[in-house]
Amino acid sequence: MKSEQANKATMVVALFYVLIFALWQTLFSVGLIPEYLFPSPVQVTKRLWELGADGYLLPSVEATLVRMGKGFILAAAIGLSIGLVMGVSPITNLCFKSLFLGLQTLPTAAWVPISLLIYGLSERGIYFVIIMSSVPAMALATSSGILQIPPFYLRAAKTLGTPWYAMPARVILPAALPAIVTGLKLGWTLGWHGGVSAELIKSTIGLGFLLYMGRELNDAAQVMGIMVVTILFGLLLDRFFFGIIEQRIRIRWGLEKRGG
Amino acid sequence: MEFGNRTKTQAPLPQNASAEPSRAKLLQLTNVSKTFQSATQAVEALAPSNLEIEEGEFVVFFGPSGCGKSTLLDIIAGFETPTTGEVLFEGSPVTMPGSDRLMMFQEHTLFPWLNVVRNVMYGLKHKREFRFRLRKQRETARSWLKMIGLEEFEKSLVHELSGGMKQRVALARALAPDPKVLLVDEPFPALDALVRTKLYADLQDILVRTGKTIISVTHDPREAACLADRVLVFTPRPGRVQKEIRVDLPRPRDINDQEVGEYAGRIMEELENPPDEK
Ligand SMILES: Nc1ncnc2c1ncn2[C@@H]1O[C@H](COP(=O)(O)OP(=O)(O)OP(=O)(O)O)[C@@H](O)[C@H]1O
Ligand SMILES: [Mg+2]
Repeated sequence: MKSEQANKATMVVALFYVLIFALWQTLFSVGLIPEYLFPSPVQVTKRLWELGADGYLLPSVEATLVRMGKGFILAAAIGLSIGLVMGVSPITNLCFKSLFLGLQTLPTAAWVPISLLIYGLSERGIYFVIIMSSVPAMALATSSGILQIPPFYLRAAKTLGTPWYAMPARVILPAALPAIVTGLKLGWTLGWHGGVSAELIKSTIGLGFLLYMGRELNDAAQVMGIMVVTILFGLLLDRFFFGIIEQRIRIRWGLEKRGG
Repeated sequence: MEFGNRTKTQAPLPQNASAEPSRAKLLQLTNVSKTFQSATQAVEALAPSNLEIEEGEFVVFFGPSGCGKSTLLDIIAGFETPTTGEVLFEGSPVTMPGSDRLMMFQEHTLFPWLNVVRNVMYGLKHKREFRFRLRKQRETARSWLKMIGLEEFEKSLVHELSGGMKQRVALARALAPDPKVLLVDEPFPALDALVRTKLYADLQDILVRTGKTIISVTHDPREAACLADRVLVFTPRPGRVQKEIRVDLPRPRDINDQEVGEYAGRIMEELENPPDEK
């Protein structure tokens, strides 16, 4: 029963994408917009294929993913630590919460100019942008997750003899984990946004760089192709990596029913 | 599984517990009261009370809702400090929660990030004789799981257990660190009567086998009569101990016994006809 329904849903979604591509192709064929501005799906695919064959695409994807991965780990370590302190110290929370809420209103790309001023064109500037884009969201998610821990977990831990210094590792962080993972997922997305923006200007390899090159060469097919690739990887990691981890944890913590 | 007939014959005891109860004063409360101060008003939750509990006793707090039973347990556990009075545990004042006065809550409060056996091991981690000795922790946890008849579920996750199984694991987790006194706050209200009866049978069984001191709260007079050596009946708000009823029945008792029923009637009567206040 269930898998039949799931199959049906997958079919509908697949059909939706086929329709989008058909629409795209039709718009192109009607020829209202000049070809050099608005390539067809076939042209985009062809251009991507060429980029791949010339050895540009895979190293770029790899470079971006490695950058994002490293930046994310750094940012997560910082965000979690600050979030933990905020979660257990009300006064720190009061101070940092307003600061981070403020910083969060900045579009992630707004960190690029300041990183250029500080780091010039160096690689470190990209990490700076990734970290600044994602740390506020992760710290806020961690602290609010900690503040929402059901008190009975803390009481149980105390009566079972947990000393105060062991509380974060044994109870506080695990109990807040569902909220923390949601925050990490959001942080990843924001870091991805910021990182690609920074790559546009600062890098010599990476998805952002290929986007920039496409524009320089007036190659709309490359620009759109790389956009599609960026979307694909973003979606893949968001849905299938973080999304699955998040759901597993929610089920295990009893916040969600299996298959619900 | 849940209702499986566990043999009453001796499984090896996980803890050294055979010692004859020495009937020493374990817990002494003098003039203990609690007033909750909020911005707008002060609520007297517990009127000044005196209480002594001996080692190996099973004491039940019984009384109307809101009379301060949970508050008194919280004070003994070290979660709340009394407004007046003094709580002595083994002769020294209670200052904070700890596993020598272990509390079991209404909710099971098992940790979902740990599997069943790791939950039971949880309280052992910080005990001196178990620290960093994972195998010893695991063996002890297993023997407690065996005692409550859930040894096949040691690898299970919390969300995979039924409500009754969760409470039994919580019981094993509470007993594993060998508390001097187990504080039980209406632990099984959400469960159906059948499961509850079984759990109380387990609790009694453990009491008989380990000589553990237990303080428990219940709303059910039959449960009180079935479990207690001593029932303390509380007055309505602000609560204080109004009457003490000793239940002199041999163990194990069956909750459906007629004699248990008679005691239950007496307990209920106390609650309904409080002596005239002056
Ligand atoms: N943290 C608190 N702040 C203010 N008032 C409180 C607090 N905790 C308990 N009280 C009050 O103290 C009184 C006693 O509460 P307590 O929970 O000890 O009652 P109880 O006997 O356990 O009741 P029940 O049988 O319903 O569990 C109640 O009137 C309650 O409103
Ligand atoms: Mg209560």
